[in-house]
Formats: sequence, C-alpha cells, structure tokens
Amino acid sequence: MVTFSCNQCGAGLAFEGVRTTTCPYCASPNFVERPPSAGQPDPAFAVAFTGDAVWARRRLEGWLGGRTLYADPALRRARLEDLRGIYLPAYLYSAVARSDYTASIGEHYTETETYTTKDAQGNEKTETRTVTRTEYRPLAGQHVGYITDVIVSASAGLDHRTLGAVEPFDLRQLRRFSPALVSGWIHEEFSRDADDCRRASRSEAIDAVGDKLRAFMPGDSYSDLAWRTTVEWESFDPILVPVWVFAVRYRDDRPPLRVVINGQTGAIAGKVPLSWWKITLGIVLLLAVIAAVIFLVTQHRPAP
Amino acid sequence: MTGCTRCKTELEDGDLRCAICALPVPAAPSGERSAYAQILRCTECNAAVAFDAEARAPRCGFCSATMVIEQPVDPIESARVRVPFLVEREQAEASLRGWLGNRGYFAPRTLRDEAVLESLTPLCWAGWLVSAQATVAWTADSDAGARRSSWAPHAGQVPLRFDAIVVPASRGLDADECRLLVPYYDLRKAVPVEQPSIAGELPAMIESFDAQRSAARHIVQRAIDATARTRVEPSIPGRRYRNVHVACLLEGQTTERVALPAWVLAYRFRGSTYRAIVHGQRPEVVFGSSPIDWARVARVALAIAALIAVIVALVLLVRRPVDPEPSPEGVHAASTSAQIG
Repeated sequence: MVTFSCNQCGAGLAFEGVRTTTCPYCASPNFVERPPSAGQPDPAFAVAFTGDAVWARRRLEGWLGGRTLYADPALRRARLEDLRGIYLPAYLYSAVARSDYTASIGEHYTETETYTTKDAQGNEKTETRTVTRTEYRPLAGQHVGYITDVIVSASAGLDHRTLGAVEPFDLRQLRRFSPALVSGWIHEEFSRDADDCRRASRSEAIDAVGDKLRAFMPGDSYSDLAWRTTVEWESFDPILVPVWVFAVRYRDDRPPLRVVINGQTGAIAGKVPLSWWKITLGIVLLLAVIAAVIFLVTQHRPAP
Repeated sequence: MTGCTRCKTELEDGDLRCAICALPVPAAPSGERSAYAQILRCTECNAAVAFDAEARAPRCGFCSATMVIEQPVDPIESARVRVPFLVEREQAEASLRGWLGNRGYFAPRTLRDEAVLESLTPLCWAGWLVSAQATVAWTADSDAGARRSSWAPHAGQVPLRFDAIVVPASRGLDADECRLLVPYYDLRKAVPVEQPSIAGELPAMIESFDAQRSAARHIVQRAIDATARTRVEPSIPGRRYRNVHVACLLEGQTTERVALPAWVLAYRFRGSTYRAIVHGQRPEVVFGSSPIDWARVARVALAIAALIAVIVALVLLVRRPVDPEPSPEGVHAASTSAQIG
C-alpha cells in the first residue's frame, strides 16, 4: 500500500492496487503521478468510457430482465451492489505471424453405383444412383499475416477469459493515455506479471492464426489441420480498457453473481445462476406437450 | 513523416498505430519526475475535474467547462494530386444523349429526345492510390494433379508488388460506380492539386474523403486482398481453378490521395429522375440508370408466352394425333362464356 497526501486538502490517501482515488474529505479525484522507472508500467493508450453509471445500470437491468425464465427466482429481487467503473489494465499485442501448416483437403466427386432393392411385389431388382464421395489429399503450405488487436487482461481480479467475454473493444477509438482520461474513475494497477501476459498474448495470436487458416483452406472440406507459427516483431503495450463490474447479491448464502460490462460497447457477460426446479418443470412441461400431441395424432388416425 | 519500424509503411501525423501492421507509435519522451498525487484542475475555475463519459472529455462540475484532450479525431483528409478533366460540358451532354439513344429495345423510344437534363455536375471524387510490396500466400483447387475428383488442392507463396491500386473513398459515387470508372483513368496525367487548371479545364468540386482514416485500413486491406486474388492466378498450376484464398503480408505501403474526374448527370424522363455518370477523361465511358418501357416488356413477355403455348400445343398434337370429338356440353359452355365476354 502506498500513501500520498491529497493534492487539495492534504489528507493522507491510501492507494491500494489502484492509481486513482477520491479523497473522502474533499471529494477531489486524485491521481498518482510517478516517474516512468517506478517498476509499474505506465499505460501507453486507453479506450475511454462511453456511458455513465446510469447507462451501465440500465444495461444490467435489461440484461437481467431477459434472463429470468430459468434463473434463480431470487435474482428478481436482487440488490445491485458494488457498481464500479474500472479502467482495467491490459496489454495490447501485435506481431507478424509466419506459419507452416499441413492439412488433409477433401475434394468431392460423384460416382454412379448400382444397388439392389425390392419392388412392391417383393422381387429383387438392380438400380443405379449417383453418390457424392470425398477424396482426401494432403496439402502443406505457408501462411503469412499481421496479428493485431490482441488484448489480454493484466488484472489479477478480472482474468483473461472474463475480459474476453466482453471483447472486442473498438480500437479505432484508442487514445494516447493521459491522466485526464482516468480522473475520477478507478485506474487499477497492473497486477499480473508481464511475461505471463506476453505468453497469454502469444497463445491467443496463435489461436487467431488458426481461425485465419480455417478460412484459408481450399477444397470442399478439410481435416487434420495442424500448424506451427513463429511470431516476429512483437509489440506489447500496456493499455487501459473500460469495464463496469457489478456484484449482484441475490441470496445471502451464495457468493454474489459477478457481471462485467464493456464500458465502450455495452457488451455484457456473466454466469446467471440457474434454478434446477424451473428447468425440471420446463422439461416436464415440454414432454407433456409432446405426449399430448402424439396421443392426439394416434387417436385421430383412421382405423385400418 | 516517418516510417513504421516493423513494416516500413509511412506514418502520418496523429497516427497512434501503424495503418498496416498496428505497431504502436512511441510517444514523445517526457522528463524524469518523482511520484506524487495529482489533481486535474479546470483551466477556467481551478476546481478539480473528472473525466465525463457523456462528454467523452474531462468536464468541470462547477463551471461546466470541458477540457480538450488528445482525441482520436480523424483529420479531414483531402486529395494531394488530381487527374485533370478532359471531357467538357458539351461533350458530356452529347455522350449522355448518345447513350440514351442506345439503351436497347426495352427503353422508351422517345427517351433520347424527351429526356430533360436536370443537372450536370463536374465532380472530382476521392480515392487512395495504394502501392505496397507484399508476400502473398495462396491456396486454391485446380485441375492440375487431379485424380478421382476433378479438383486437387494447391498452395504457394509469391512476392508481389502492387502499384497504384485505386481504392475508392467517395461519398458522391457508390462502390460499383467507382469500380466501373477506375480502369479508364490515365493516372500518369495526375498533377498536384495546387497546380492551376490548364487552359480550357473546368473548375470542379474536389470531394473530401468520406471514409475515416481509422476505417480506411480495412477498406484498403480488402481492396488489396481482392487484387491479390487475381494477381496470384498465374501462379496456380493447371487450366481451371476455384476457391482462391490469399493471405497478404504488406510492407512499405505508400498512400497517395487522389481526386478523379467524373460528370454526374441527373435527367428527368416522364416525371422520374435518373442518374448517369460520364467518365471525366473518356467521354465514351457512360453508365447509369435508365427508364424501362413496361408496355414493351409486357408485349415481349406475351409473345414469348404465346410462342411457348404454340410449341406445347404442337407437341401435344404430335403425341396424340387422334383427338376425341369435343362434347356438346363443352361447345355450349364456350359459347356461353363468349356471350358474357
């Protein structure tokens, strides 16, 4: 924990894992200014928030409202607690990716085959039909391209997968970082190891190459796609991305539901607690409807 | 202007990242400081200000002043070179008349003479002239080496040089119109925008760039991919091919903003307005929309239907040479309907 005095009233302020705080005595938004060599990366860029707390709360309420069918009924009376707009630390990664791939490419062809069948009188007869078959041919080659816009979370509190659920961010709106962008908001410090984040970025880049390769394959189908990618010219820059984090407490004996909202685009992700008796009831009702339909159909069939 | 260290593409003022490979541009270095807590203050009343998400800028809660911060505002781009107009007003009008008189059978016969020219606007539409060096990896199916299927997969990688690809950035003309105009420009005739018009040349409106620079990257990338797809065709073995895929690694891209001349015409025919474009350098290149004479279309459709009916009747007659005698009832019904009609 680091303590600095408030720039407005001189009160001692504790900065724990964050770089901004609002003074409890004079409500001034303080921001820690520090030399570049202080051991913590300084963000190079930031994506700004596009809506305020009211906007975020409305998004959340709309999202919860659309998910009450199979959700725990306690969610309807849930208290929205602990609403926080956070500038989340992350790394922006890009690289040149050169890949060697191998795959088995399927090419369709048609064949006429003969088969025997029985006609209405039970006599065997031979007929022909056209069938589509696939011939698999090996293919090896190279793929090149820039992998850009890979973002990995550098926050210990909000992991990479949770952030991935509310991505993408519109990086055309990227701005160069300045304290003015984060004044009055929570600027979380970079808490995950940079090397760790670099490894995560690299593996996401290699996944992105896989997506490109899947669209790159010729033929009518493919299988056994394997590739080896080397990345060159990596860039790895600390950035801040805006997220709203909500804790929704719906039962006292359960941990709160955590919902994350993309502060720029409004995309929402969270795992809604399901109510098992509601799901069971739904399945039973569905089966009852199917049974009723079958019953009605069999009743109305004319007697043979 | 400096170049990107990764792909050697020219960077422009205000770029945060390279337009091609997205490598961040380093910020100007700042001096050494010691750590302290700081408050951002309003430049008007000195009160502490916070970033306002609605205003997308820091706003002072007391005097409502908004502070200006570095914004990713796309600068308004404008053309640096232009291709001069070679087609004059009278020529453009004559081309349009000639085109209207040559619209085929389904156009109204009086189109050429009755069409009233409503407006004739010389427009210099905006486009990028992109040149780049690229490594292009490709895959395709071709008939070379085919076994049971008529296709066999192939892959390869070739270095390609793209020179002066025109990528439209116009609001006044749509993508299809630009695509039809592009092949007929003589880009060697391009002159700097500031250069005064040559004798007899028209003063034309030079369009500003509609597509923002931040969005331009995707537009240019798509255009280059499309060009690469046709440029790799000679590398594909065999005579027939399909499913051509390309992956481009661009280097040293240069972009020139160019204004290209075209006449945009609007003409009125029987109460409706139609639009046509005449090329600004080659008067014979004309295209656009024109009215259709639906009465003629209906006549042709009827004629075709009648022809088909006759053929069907003939075929039926040939198949069933002995026609049964029409029943008296049928004759009666036919005569009744004729009376009603």
